[in-house]
Amino acid sequence: MDVALTTPVAEGDPPKAGGPPGLVLGGAGGLRAISFAKPNRGLPRNREKDQIIRASGPQDLKDDLGRPFPLPERTQERIVSMAPNVTEILFALGLGDHVAGVTRFCDYPPEARSIRRIGGLVDPNIEVIQSLDPGLVIAFRGNPLRLVDRIRKLGLPVFVLDIGEGLEALFPLIAKIGRVTRSEERADALAAGLRRRLEAVDAAMSGAGTRPKVFVLLYGQGLWTCGGESYVDDIIGRAGGTNVASALPKKWILYKREQILKDDPDVIFILARSGKDFATGRDWLLRKARVESVAAVRSGKVYELDENAASRFGPRLVDVLDRMVRLLHPELFGERP
Amino acid sequence: MSRKTGRRLFWVVCLAACLAGFLLSVLTGPVKTTPGDLLRFIQSHDRVQAAIFIDLRLSRAVLAFLVGAALALSGAILQGYFRNPMADPFVVGVSSGASLGAVIATSLGFEAAAFGFSGPGLLAFISGLGIVSLVYVLSLRRGGFKVETILLTGIAAGALASALTSFFLFMRSDSYDQAVFWLLGSFQLAEWRQAATIAPWFVLCFVAAIWLARDMDLLALGDETAQALGCSVRRVRKAFLVMSALLAALSVAVSGVIGFVGLVVPHWVRILIGPGHRALFASSALAGGTFLLYCDLLARNILAGELPIGVITAAVGAPFFLYLLHKKR
Repeated sequence: MDVALTTPVAEGDPPKAGGPPGLVLGGAGGLRAISFAKPNRGLPRNREKDQIIRASGPQDLKDDLGRPFPLPERTQERIVSMAPNVTEILFALGLGDHVAGVTRFCDYPPEARSIRRIGGLVDPNIEVIQSLDPGLVIAFRGNPLRLVDRIRKLGLPVFVLDIGEGLEALFPLIAKIGRVTRSEERADALAAGLRRRLEAVDAAMSGAGTRPKVFVLLYGQGLWTCGGESYVDDIIGRAGGTNVASALPKKWILYKREQILKDDPDVIFILARSGKDFATGRDWLLRKARVESVAAVRSGKVYELDENAASRFGPRLVDVLDRMVRLLHPELFGERP
Repeated sequence: MSRKTGRRLFWVVCLAACLAGFLLSVLTGPVKTTPGDLLRFIQSHDRVQAAIFIDLRLSRAVLAFLVGAALALSGAILQGYFRNPMADPFVVGVSSGASLGAVIATSLGFEAAAFGFSGPGLLAFISGLGIVSLVYVLSLRRGGFKVETILLTGIAAGALASALTSFFLFMRSDSYDQAVFWLLGSFQLAEWRQAATIAPWFVLCFVAAIWLARDMDLLALGDETAQALGCSVRRVRKAFLVMSALLAALSVAVSGVIGFVGLVVPHWVRILIGPGHRALFASSALAGGTFLLYCDLLARNILAGELPIGVITAAVGAPFFLYLLHKKR
């Protein structure tokens, strides 16, 4: 089984149903790979013209708190990212060189690790942020509002983004980051690439017969799983599976052992940070969790998902989707070479 | 060494440490700055340096000092009030009540600011004072007022508030990270407006406490004796309880729950300068402010990010407390 999951499964190996070679996240390589996407060619230019007018006229850019944000005239040189998914999107837009500060959780792509750390999501050092003299600070849900306000009071331009529901919310998120960094063209290209991959999955799923029952285990203490409000639930649905905890209206919940016995999932995914964590988690599930009667455990269909990729609301969620599709419906890929 | 010289020495050392603490606070941080930078900054204004020196570091130091002074004063008052050296703002339920309010506000997403406080700060203030009033009313009910009753009621109410706090944290596990900074305290978000909000209240309580200190000395002899010596015990007690609760609730509202300052600092001061309450109140405030100033220096300089300050006050406070207990024997 594929355990080395720091490499996205989809890289250079996209789903079969059409579309260009998968968008390699980060850097210009990915952009080149999809720049032949004709429908988008004219669009950004028109929009640019539009925005020159907008930038000089009344501002209509708002962040997800509904606060008006002055649209910068060009890409800012020093951008501070206050969340790992924002960092990933900035890099995917080819703006890695402009990122001046990241959180200690920002470890993807690897280049992000060498950027100045500002602290964590809830405990960044405001002084470090100020000393970077950023032209743009991008905050995300998970950064406390009080913290955002404190940074704003220093006179720094803070653009706040919220998480949406389901994978579909990735597109407005990327578009907004593209807009506020004045990389609309690249954002459109990135979004178009992701859109094609989603459509490829949808097309492939139309041929799928069964919908295996899926249980997602968060590696750690006990049977933590994702409920119906989590975007992981949406990914499972798109990948042609059924999340057994889908009916529970929460993001993360501690599942009950008797409930998982009753649900009898066909496949179990373990969200783990490393191959070692996954091995420990699988051992626990197979030997100690007393869920031997569950179909997934009996058949050994216990797979790893990269927790970092799956828990950050960024482009790598589509990698997670690709991997899940292949594991849930191997027949779709085995039959058609 | 006579008590008077000792007291003078204490004041000199404390003031010097306090000034040094402020200077260190302004000069140290993740961004390297030298005294030369500060001098040059005073001569020529630079926007980034102004934000770092004045808006971030100095406001934070001032707020830490004010909160430390308020907590230590609150603790000193309560220890006199209960005639019990173990008393501190936790005992009457202020701290646990206030953290309950903050956690409820965080988990309900109540973040709006009002009256110079953030949403959690405001709710922390209200619920902190609310719990003390409840404790007070409950203790009054049966046949007059007894110190033991209010102490026990306070502990029970505090435990209940802690249980509810845990419940809300468990229900909204995604707000846990944010709540940690309320439960353990932090000056991460310090700003001038917070300092300006609590400063007048602190000064008011401080002056009142110094003014009523003589009565606190009488209370130490027992309520009956104090009454016989002309102290209107009930009124004085009520005034002190209100003051200490107000000081503690204000502190929690701006910085979260910071333990051990209210407990340890008055002890330290009492050993060094004696039990007279006028000097004790004044010195506790100065020493508490200075202590928290240094704790905050550690909190923001030890790690790349931020450390909750409660971790530091307890780590420094607990061994010191043990030492005091040991030395007394």
